[in-house]
This record gives sequence, C-alpha cells and structure tokens, in this order.
Amino acid sequence: MKAFYLCIAGAIVVMVLAVLFVPGVDDFVEQTFQRYLGRAAS
Amino acid sequence: MKILIRAIIVLLCLTLIPITAVATAAIKQRFADGPNRVFSGGPLISGTLHSGPEPDWQFVNSIPTIEMQLQVPSTSRRIWTVEHAGKLYVWSGYMNSQVGRLWKQWPAQAQENGNAVFRIDGIRYERFLQRIDSGEALDGIAAAITAKYPSQTTRATIESGNVWLFEARPR
Repeated sequence: MKAFYLCIAGAIVVMVLAVLFVPGVDDFVEQTFQRYLGRAAS
Repeated sequence: MKILIRAIIVLLCLTLIPITAVATAAIKQRFADGPNRVFSGGPLISGTLHSGPEPDWQFVNSIPTIEMQLQVPSTSRRIWTVEHAGKLYVWSGYMNSQVGRLWKQWPAQAQENGNAVFRIDGIRYERFLQRIDSGEALDGIAAAITAKYPSQTTRATIESGNVWLFEARPR
C-alpha cells in the first residue's frame, strides 16, 4: 500500500503543477467539471 | 472485510486526483482578470469603463455570454444575458434545486448588494441588479430568453423562484 500512496501523492503533485502551468489543462478541467455540474443540476 | 476497506481507501485516493485538479483550477481562476467558464474569476480589471448615454443593448442578443462582477464579493462569473424592450437582463436557474443553491450564490449576494460591473466586448459597464419576480413583462423576457438560449425559462419558473431574474439598471 505504501507504493500506492506514493503514486497517488505523485499523481496529485503532477496534476496540480499541470493545472497551474501547462496551458489548456485548467480549461480542460473546468470544461469537464462544467459538464458534470450541469448534469447534476438538471 | 479488510479487502473492502482497502478497496474503499483505493477508491478515495483515486477520487482525490480529480478533486485536486478541480480545486486547483478553481483557485487559479480566482486570481485571473475575470472568469473562464464555470469557476468564479477575480475582479474585472481590464477594459475601458463605459461613460455617457445608455447604450442600445440589442447588441447583446448576438453575444453568447458576458462577464459579471459583483461589488461584494468582488468575484466575477460568466453568465447568459438578454435584452428585451431596451433593458438588459441576467438570471440564474436551478435556484430551487439543492445543487443550484450550492452552486449559485451570486443571486443572493446580488440581492444584498446589487452593484455590479459587466464586461462586454472588452468594455466595462457599471450596473445595478434589481430582482424581478412578477409582472406582465416576464412573458416577453422569458420569450426573449428561450429564443436566444436552449432554456426552459418561463414566467412560471421565474414566479416560482426557480429562476432568479435581474434587470441590470444603470447606477
């Protein structure tokens, strides 16, 4: 399980850095979230 | 039992990744000059401030969304808008649903302090949001909304409180 936790921690760090610094990733995340939010609200 | 607990832990850990992505994107947008899609943005800074006579708002009927910032709190969001009979309107749907009430907090904030700034085509307009929840004009406004957007807004949904409609008056 320790290796799994490390993988998850690494994935979270990579995800945060990607959203902050890779162009277009934040927009993709927002677009996907918007899709699910709209579905939940209707 | 142990396997079940582990499976739940694995599931929770995996869920953390998209949750972190969404939270990071939302926080990042708060520091931006305006909103992007659904997350609130920071104050509307760029763009010249409109002064002079009231514009002919008909031009907004060909614009899909506008940016709106409340004075308190000074966050901004992208919203639908429509012009009807020379007046400008914005609204918020899903207000009777649980998700809608959690998601849409600006209508309640606008009712407390209606001062707002709109940014349309790079020009900022100072407005005052006045909620309208009854009256004959609702039929025409709802018709204008449904003509422009795939919306189910009707006079009944506005009067029932499921849609909060605001007229954006000059300050």
